[in-house]
Amino acid sequence: MAPIRPIGSSADVADPEFQRQALTHLDALYNFAMYLSKRPADAEDLVQETYLRAFRFSHRFQPGTHLRAWLFQILRNTFLTFYRVREREAPVAEDGVPEWDAPMFHDAPEDDGTAMDAHTDLERAMRRLPEEFRTVLLLAEVEGLPLEEVARVMACPVGTVKSRIFRAKERLRGLLRDYETK
Amino acid sequence: MSERFDDSSDETLSRRLAGELTRHTAPARLRVAIVDAAPRPRRPVWLGPLVAAAATAMVLILVVLPVLPRIVPADPMQRYVRAVVSEHSRTLMWGARRGDVLPAALPWLTQETGIGLNQFFVGDERLVLVSAEPVYLERQRGVAIHYRDQDGHMLTYIALPATGLTVPDRERVQAGRWRPALLRDSGFAALVWKQAEVACFLVSDMVSSDDVETFKEYFVRVRSTTDPVPAY
Repeated sequence: MAPIRPIGSSADVADPEFQRQALTHLDALYNFAMYLSKRPADAEDLVQETYLRAFRFSHRFQPGTHLRAWLFQILRNTFLTFYRVREREAPVAEDGVPEWDAPMFHDAPEDDGTAMDAHTDLERAMRRLPEEFRTVLLLAEVEGLPLEEVARVMACPVGTVKSRIFRAKERLRGLLRDYETK
Repeated sequence: MSERFDDSSDETLSRRLAGELTRHTAPARLRVAIVDAAPRPRRPVWLGPLVAAAATAMVLILVVLPVLPRIVPADPMQRYVRAVVSEHSRTLMWGARRGDVLPAALPWLTQETGIGLNQFFVGDERLVLVSAEPVYLERQRGVAIHYRDQDGHMLTYIALPATGLTVPDRERVQAGRWRPALLRDSGFAALVWKQAEVACFLVSDMVSSDDVETFKEYFVRVRSTTDPVPAY
């Protein structure tokens, strides 16, 4: 990827080249937003807000770093900012992940007709994972981001990312076994 | 749709995550909305004041420039040469103010300028007398006589009373049996000499080395047959 040239520090308008390169990641961001928000309309709002913030603060982007990871980071932070206020913080374990049966602030109601459909057990299981687990799996396993980039997106150490991936897969396996037995 | 989860290894789970999860593609309208909502480049905030300041400065310069004191050469000879070259240029562009042909106008010219011409060069086969007129240069009244050669070069002879004016020795050149000073200004050449307390100038645009030799020949013709004297 060609290095991104940041615009002037005082400007709040991204240059066209930055906008063009940022928009090449639109589908990945939308996919990530769909798994986070679970509603197409919310996902669109989330992605649009992400891009507006990215363009506004493009001068903060460090050339040579991973633009896609930076955009994922903005999207996740936006999601947490907008959606966390709706719910109270759930009790968390040592690694910052809510306990198994704790209600997830980001889990949309299953009976909402506008929510995206789960076509497979795997998707259904992913939807039931806590956000922190869903995010590490989506970024590391689906999008293929290096663990360092995932750690940057989630603002935590790489060791925590590894731990979350391990626990997320464990929980995913458990959910898939449950679906299997049913 | 249900699937069997018969392999629980990490690699298999990773492969399933990468391959089986539905990838949601962004609708086209979302791209359009983002592009439309992207902030447009704006004109820099400093551009307006800068242009206004520059325009104000320009107007001030235009207003003040005519009343600023002109930079004039400190050397009197340079000032005189610049003045006669300006007069020559004016004649080239707009012609003589009053084109009276000598000697009919000689008494009037002497009366107007205070410089008498005991004799003067009236032209020959190489130079044609065009006109003569009074001039006022460097706060002095003087005589200007204009000639044109066969190649179309204009020559201006100017005589001014200049008691204290000194011809610079370093610029002197040999022309016939005389040694006038050859000076240049604004693309013109001027031969300068003094004759009976009258400063005489012969100006032309003949500045190349060949033309200067011809210019010297013209000087000899003018110098040998023109005799200006202060009339009063």
